[in-house]
Amino acid sequence: MMPSSWQRLSGLILQELYVTRHRLEIIVDTFFFPLINVILFGYITHFIGTGGALNGQIFIVGVLWWQLLTVMQYNVTVSSMWNIWSHNLTNIFIAPISIGEYLLAGALSSALRTVAIAVLLFLGAWVVFDFDVLSLGWANMGLFTLNLLLFGCALGIAFLGVIFRFGVRIQAISWGAIYVIQPITAAFFPVAVLPGFLQVVAYALPPTYVFEAARQALNTPTVNWRYAGIAFVLNIGYVILSLLLFRYFFKKSKQSGQFARNDL
Amino acid sequence: MSELVVAVDGLIKDYGTFRAVDHVSFSIKKGQVLGLLGPNGAGKSTTIQMLIGVTLPSEGTIRYFGKDFAKHRQACLQRLNYASAYNTLQQHMTVKENLAVFAAMYGLKNPKDKIAELMDYFAVKRLEKQMYRNLSAGERTRVNLVKALLNDPELVLMDEPTASLDPDIADKTLGLVENLRRDRKLSILFTSHNMEEVTRLCDEVIFLDKGKIVSQDTPANHMKRLDQAEVNLHFNGAAAKLDAISADQKGQATFGNTGQATFGNTGQATIKISSKRIPALLAAIHKAGLTVTDIDIRKPTLEDVFLDIARKGRSL
Repeated sequence: MMPSSWQRLSGLILQELYVTRHRLEIIVDTFFFPLINVILFGYITHFIGTGGALNGQIFIVGVLWWQLLTVMQYNVTVSSMWNIWSHNLTNIFIAPISIGEYLLAGALSSALRTVAIAVLLFLGAWVVFDFDVLSLGWANMGLFTLNLLLFGCALGIAFLGVIFRFGVRIQAISWGAIYVIQPITAAFFPVAVLPGFLQVVAYALPPTYVFEAARQALNTPTVNWRYAGIAFVLNIGYVILSLLLFRYFFKKSKQSGQFARNDL
Repeated sequence: MSELVVAVDGLIKDYGTFRAVDHVSFSIKKGQVLGLLGPNGAGKSTTIQMLIGVTLPSEGTIRYFGKDFAKHRQACLQRLNYASAYNTLQQHMTVKENLAVFAAMYGLKNPKDKIAELMDYFAVKRLEKQMYRNLSAGERTRVNLVKALLNDPELVLMDEPTASLDPDIADKTLGLVENLRRDRKLSILFTSHNMEEVTRLCDEVIFLDKGKIVSQDTPANHMKRLDQAEVNLHFNGAAAKLDAISADQKGQATFGNTGQATFGNTGQATIKISSKRIPALLAAIHKAGLTVTDIDIRKPTLEDVFLDIARKGRSL
């Protein structure tokens, strides 16, 4: 007997549900990003609505430094993904490299790429929007870059450990998970706009200090050494934590056989 | 005693309650080629994964060149290498770039010379500027072998290196491996589903089934143990004469108790018989006055041994 139209439809819908269940990127792309956008622009609207000084430069500063953070994290994680996608991971790990060397190589090459991209972005902002990022001061530029690269690296290593452990089915965290902290780090508005409990979380994240200091530097290009120091100390903690997390997940991945399966 | 390049002792791998590898122990001497065979799910891949360090054993030890692999991972890896049909190099780089990366990681003193020498040997020099992803399966295999020999390894683990190659390319590739083995006294751990390759290359073969070693011997001895040959006869003459032989075979000791004949209608017979009994069978046929127009004797191959293990799950 010929199946009804509804039966045929239900088969296709079932397929979509199964695929969605197994592919995190579908959830990230279709649910997570819109949700984050709503939250982010909600706070931006709140900031504007409460009479905050709407200075266009606040947004461009936020966007530029936020990109530096995301590009660094993306590079650290995705540099390994290219090996997984190429089925080359086993070849790399049968070479006499240590895991420390592997991560350090990834971090250094990612930092180089990120700085090169940042220079292009800064030039673009200057040419197109007449915004000179150097007006923030050279010392601030160096400190912001250092702190954002360190935090991007910590996040990238942690995400990589999670992917090694659970496989490419959750690879979307490589480019998606960082957006969880985008509203919390107050990249585009002052921390004061956030509700009290989120301000506590925000101040536990190094980028928050960078974005706050960057907004301050728009008025007076002096270095906020307190913020720079707190962000650096926090970053050291996050880097250590990410290395411990990576080591744990890496070992678990090898114990469960997932590491070898990642490369098949 | 010959120098051992690898000694595996009591290797166990458990995934939850499932035991994938169960007390596997073996060793490979310098210059020896050991085959690791078994049906799908026998534990070959898991064993190889533990040997190259991408999966951790639940129990047991792996020693390379007398050193504990768990404690001296980098020192061990510097002296061995790996080639597999299932692991490719970086797809988004040229062949030469890929090889340069590995040459750097192995710390070669003259990487350009070494890469050029091996590319010449495997006849892939013309591919050096090509993107790896554009190579054919045969070209990839040979480039993978170049990578696997960059560090002048004393041991190469080859996991089905000729899988997906056509017979001609597979034969040529295997010939190159045979030459390397002879010239360099290279030790090889070899897995393949092609039993002819295993028979040709391996000094010793381990059969794994359900995670356990069920047999370990030379290919020739493996085949001797499975003593069932098949004799295909085409003949002229009265079929009754063959019937007589058949009766003879069933009832008399000449053909032994294992002999069994099935007869077609066109002067053809297929007789399954112990290899040792074949001369006696031929003598009986001659004595019966039959004229044999064609005869084909098929002795057991390693594939028969493999099938026997895979289907019956028995130890030899």
